[in-house]
Amino acid sequence: MSDQAHISNTGWNRRDFLGGAALLALAIGIPIAGVSLSTLDADDAPSARQVMLMSEVAQLVIPATATKGAGDVGVGAFVLLAMAHGLENARAPLAKDAPAGLQSFARRDGSLDYAAWLEAELNRRTGSDFLNAAPDKRRAVLSALDAEAFAESQNANPWRTIKALILLGYYTSEEGGSRELAYEHIPGKWVPDMPVEPDTRSYSSDWTGVEFG
Amino acid sequence: MAETYEFDAIVVGSGITGGYAAKELTEAGLKVLMIERGRDIKHGGDYATEMKTPWEMPFRGSGDRAKYAEEFPVQMLNRHFNEFTAGHFVNDAENPYTTPEDRAFNWFRSYQLGGRSLTWGRQCYRWSDYDFGANKRDGVGNDWPIRYADVAPYYDKVEAFIGVAGQKEGLAQLPDGPFLPPFELNAVEQSLRAKIGAKWPDRVVTPGRVANLTQSKDDEGRGQCQSRAICARGCSYGAYFSTQSSTLPAAMKTGRLTVITDKVVEKLDYDPATKRITGVRFIDRLTGERGRATSRIVFLNAGAFNSVHILLNSADDTNPNGLANSSGVLGTHIMDHASTLSAIAIMPGFEDRTSFGNRPSGAIIPRFRNLDTMDGVGHTRGYSYQGGALQSGWSRGKREAGIGEDYKNALQKPGPWRAVFVAFAECMPRVTNRLTLDKAKKDAQGLPALNIDMAFGKEEHAALADAKAEAEAMLTHAGGKVIMGFDKPGAPGSAIHEMGGARMGFYPKDSVLNQWSQAHDAPNLFVTDGAQMASSACQNPSLTYMALTVRACEAAVRMMKAGEI
Repeated sequence: MSDQAHISNTGWNRRDFLGGAALLALAIGIPIAGVSLSTLDADDAPSARQVMLMSEVAQLVIPATATKGAGDVGVGAFVLLAMAHGLENARAPLAKDAPAGLQSFARRDGSLDYAAWLEAELNRRTGSDFLNAAPDKRRAVLSALDAEAFAESQNANPWRTIKALILLGYYTSEEGGSRELAYEHIPGKWVPDMPVEPDTRSYSSDWTGVEFG
Repeated sequence: MAETYEFDAIVVGSGITGGYAAKELTEAGLKVLMIERGRDIKHGGDYATEMKTPWEMPFRGSGDRAKYAEEFPVQMLNRHFNEFTAGHFVNDAENPYTTPEDRAFNWFRSYQLGGRSLTWGRQCYRWSDYDFGANKRDGVGNDWPIRYADVAPYYDKVEAFIGVAGQKEGLAQLPDGPFLPPFELNAVEQSLRAKIGAKWPDRVVTPGRVANLTQSKDDEGRGQCQSRAICARGCSYGAYFSTQSSTLPAAMKTGRLTVITDKVVEKLDYDPATKRITGVRFIDRLTGERGRATSRIVFLNAGAFNSVHILLNSADDTNPNGLANSSGVLGTHIMDHASTLSAIAIMPGFEDRTSFGNRPSGAIIPRFRNLDTMDGVGHTRGYSYQGGALQSGWSRGKREAGIGEDYKNALQKPGPWRAVFVAFAECMPRVTNRLTLDKAKKDAQGLPALNIDMAFGKEEHAALADAKAEAEAMLTHAGGKVIMGFDKPGAPGSAIHEMGGARMGFYPKDSVLNQWSQAHDAPNLFVTDGAQMASSACQNPSLTYMALTVRACEAAVRMMKAGEI
């Protein structure tokens, strides 16, 4: 059986589609219990607590401004799905010399369970349950983790992967991609040089700028 | 029961050269059968993802990477492979090939009507006599039996038909053609052109020459490029050259083309008495049924390595080492450009400039080494750069610290400009780089799988070391801050310019094809895809494959009319 036969009409196969359906259901706010994450191994399915946590964290990274924030548009659920399916290399095996603090969060396939790691890491830094902390405290805790993760010596910090997926989820959503940024599916022309104006926004449909930028 | 046909010509493959052969042969009055191994793809109607936005896709355009790692481990390395385009690439797991354990080869494939013409990079460059004369000049490989003057009229013809946007520069090493207006350089590239050209007059930053229409070709029903740069999804405007947009409609218009899909050619029958190909045998990939078709001449256009694979699989008592292989060189001297990211630099000073639209191309710097002066150290051929300048998008945020409103607002603006130079170094033709049948491994049709054994040598490494140093020097001189660069090539195959294996040459004793892309051993057999190449040059080869195909078709028709074949 060739893959091409069942790709031909839709561009993706049944397994993808089920994953996508779950994602879309999550994004529009159906409770996690109402969604069958049928494409995922049992140990990949996040807890309800982790779904809430990831949504909150996404919103802290990209808050609501004139446009909605990342948590508002379901990016937390996308991040969990994306991690399970290896986007941003999230299913790559942990390095053999990874710290014990990470090894204890390894999945069966040797990759890191990012959601479990993040939950524990934020709770540890908060000194109590991160989700129950005051908003300012949550922001400060995440900000400190972010600053450490992007320090020169920290290029393998798991937070970088989670943050990358939050950005991916947000700027490829309709809100992030076409309202916060500009999106032009059919530009119709190439204008090689023009001035940046005060209201110039970055194009999420500038595929080259996104890929190599 | 499988169908059989009687035709003037059979064309095996429907990609860039197969489509072109079908067009030329039908337009010359021949009744042609085109055999494609993959599924049918209709122009426009079957480009299922063309108009999709990321938020309409299950994985937002990135796709299910875990699934891809299992099913598309090689194809997923292709820049053009993503969730929108995955249906235009082959499933690696279902279509195995083998390599020596320590020598990976990235074989990028598209088994479908149109082949890789749907997914190609569309860069179109003429070769010059520096290229056709390269083997003779340094004595590596066999001399080409043709020179630029032999091919130039066919370059003219092909460029006029397919439509190539580009800028004339008057360079001997990269001859001009009848170009459509170029996709112009952006502000940073214009500055690079001026500053690099002032210090190194022999180095020219020029717009990439690309088979995307900057003006519509109404006679062919092809619209102008919409500057989307999502070509590999398929383009219903017909704005880039593909079999579907260009050669297939032309061939169909003659009423003399028959196309069959889902038929994998297994072997060619050969009659030792007449030294002719007498039939083409194929297997239906869906039902396993076998069929056979006959024709007066056969054009192999299955893609360089698959054309060789068919010839190797066509071994019989008369030709125990493969068809058209009395020389013993069939499968040898395969090549691919050694390529790497030579330099990437931040380009300050252009924060107030931007662009609009997505250019389906970039900027290039043609070869400047080993032209009239042999100035290469450790290498005798050339390299060229492709790349250009781009403005960072939201993805830069992945590398930056910050959370919250200020961070979000900063990412709303266009980011810093970067210049990227990717080098393509000419690959020496070596007898040790070769294709063979792997009798221990079966392919999807149960035939012996292809084994690809290829490694780059010290010449390619020397060229890429030079390319890295020169890229850094040029970008630094132009005001850039180089942040990264490499001098080691990606695995062979990564440039997607795999070629050779049935090389052209003067003599039957050391080549497979003569100057007309015609088999020395079987005069009614022509191989006009990348397999025919005797050297690799350092620029993209597809335009040359097309020109040589047109030339071979003209010769074949002439020989048929003269009763020679």
